[in-house]
Amino acid sequence: MTLAERLMTGLNITILGMGLVFVLLALLWALLTAMLRLDRQPTREPDGGVVPGRPGARRPVKLAPELLSAITVAVFTHQAVLRKQAAPAMRSYWPGSILFASRWVTSGRHQQTQSWNPRGR
Amino acid sequence: MSDYLTTLRELREKALRGGGPKRIEQQHERGKLTARERLALLLDEGSFQEFGALATHNITDFGMADQRYPGDGIVTGLGKINGRRVAVFAQDFTVMGGSFSEVQSHKICRIQDLALESGIPLLGLNDSGGARIQEGVRSLAGYGEVFQRNVLASGVVPQISVMLGPCAGGAVYSPALTDFVIMARDTSFMFLTGPEVIKAVTGEDVNVANLGGPLIHNCRSGVAHFLAANEQAAISMAKLLLSYLPQNNTEDPPQVAPYDPADRMEESLNSVVPASENEPYDMHLVIDAVFDRDSFLEVHSCYAPNAVVGFARLDGHAVGIVANQPAHMAGALDIDASDKISRFIRICDAYSIPLITFVDCPGFLPGVDQEYHGVIRHGAKIIYAYTEATVPKISIVTRKAMGGSYVAMSSKQMRNDLAYAWPTAQIAVMGAEGAVRILYRQELSKAEDPAATERKYIQEYREMFFNPFRAADLGQIDEVIEPRETRPRLIRALEVLRTKVQQNPTKKHGLMPV
Repeated sequence: MTLAERLMTGLNITILGMGLVFVLLALLWALLTAMLRLDRQPTREPDGGVVPGRPGARRPVKLAPELLSAITVAVFTHQAVLRKQAAPAMRSYWPGSILFASRWVTSGRHQQTQSWNPRGR
Repeated sequence: MSDYLTTLRELREKALRGGGPKRIEQQHERGKLTARERLALLLDEGSFQEFGALATHNITDFGMADQRYPGDGIVTGLGKINGRRVAVFAQDFTVMGGSFSEVQSHKICRIQDLALESGIPLLGLNDSGGARIQEGVRSLAGYGEVFQRNVLASGVVPQISVMLGPCAGGAVYSPALTDFVIMARDTSFMFLTGPEVIKAVTGEDVNVANLGGPLIHNCRSGVAHFLAANEQAAISMAKLLLSYLPQNNTEDPPQVAPYDPADRMEESLNSVVPASENEPYDMHLVIDAVFDRDSFLEVHSCYAPNAVVGFARLDGHAVGIVANQPAHMAGALDIDASDKISRFIRICDAYSIPLITFVDCPGFLPGVDQEYHGVIRHGAKIIYAYTEATVPKISIVTRKAMGGSYVAMSSKQMRNDLAYAWPTAQIAVMGAEGAVRILYRQELSKAEDPAATERKYIQEYREMFFNPFRAADLGQIDEVIEPRETRPRLIRALEVLRTKVQQNPTKKHGLMPV
């Protein structure tokens, strides 16, 4: 085998080996791209957004901006009504709470109202 | 045992049905709710405990033996509103037109007694055609029993009447004796004698709306304090009003967690009073800027608009506001405004709610009509109410404080705790023009140019008295403050005065010039 033939054989083996590697890499790339595309597709939520395998966990639900605005306004309005009506969640302390009662005021108010004497009691 | 239970369940079921499906349908057609539907709106869910659901009358005259309904046309009991205990009664128009019977009176009295003994507010939802004629004097006596308890509970526990239907004849006195009356537009009315009787007696032709409708009582007579667009709004109004009131006269109103900065200074206040002294401005702008955002609940908003009274919150604490309204009649006090102010002061005093007074008043309204109708006596009520009140009292003179109105509107001598004035305040015995004509009568008559001389004296008088500094110098004003400082100043002052205790001389009761 002449030197030229030997060189040609080496070149062929190199081309075949490298070609095989590049073909396999290209196949792998195509497979990965296909998997990524499949993964990005939206999935249906027949279970109401519950994440499988995680009890109580929910996927974030995308809402239309108008609906989101309406809900926000409703929440703030409800909060304003609760505040205006001094609902329990909005109070600093329970009415008549002993914790905040002042003996000075209690005694003073008793003296202010001592003339009141219900009949027969 | 099962028979008893069956009977009980049947009776309860019958009580829940009220006057029956047909009457309920008619009630709905009139745009009105039934008593139980109203209570469901008013009270916290599942909080209502009914008493007397099975009570019925024992009258047999006029075929009444066949008209026996468990509950006898009224639903009474205890419940909660926003977690606070209340006693309630609701007249049921579907049962014999909600007519007031002896049994109704017993049920209301029972609730009144429980409210008074437990120290909890009493709310009445009124919808009744009047006294039950078939019962004669029994129902009249029942009215008397209710009135008596209204009076005994007055100033001890808050009493609120929500008018959701007719209220005629003697029945009107029970709401009138309570602290607040809320009327629903279109469906409620109150009068002592109806249009027919008035036509027969005096010949005056008037319809129900113009005689005793919600607008008349809110804007003309002052019998009602709040006007609501409909039944639901009236019930919401009652809940809102209750949030400013304590459970009874020994407790404080609920404090809302502060949500508006205590040190907020509103720059707009520095320019709210116009440069021209005769130019009006709206006192509501001042109130909105000073108190917690969106917390002002105006009482008697339509009646005597030359004065503004109402509840608001300062750093979450309920306060009562009394103010002159320069945008109406220049804020002058007349008979109606005097009644409005004095009544409100007494309500605040009874329930330990501090009073904040904004003064911009040129004086009492002059006029023959006012004098003939006793503006002196009515004006004296303001002085009486302020002096008698032992709650913290703070005044702010925003502009005019002239003559008798300066004294009456929470001056130092009315046992005021703190008197502030804005730099725009004008504290004087009377207006400059009138004062100069009296003080310099001789000089003006001898002057070569009386008009120029008068102008000179007026200018001198203004420089001397039309500012707050002379009053501050004499100690009649505690501090002259920048208008924008009003909110933080009031909050700090009330922080100290919250534990104020003051007593009046022992007496059976005073003699207010009613």
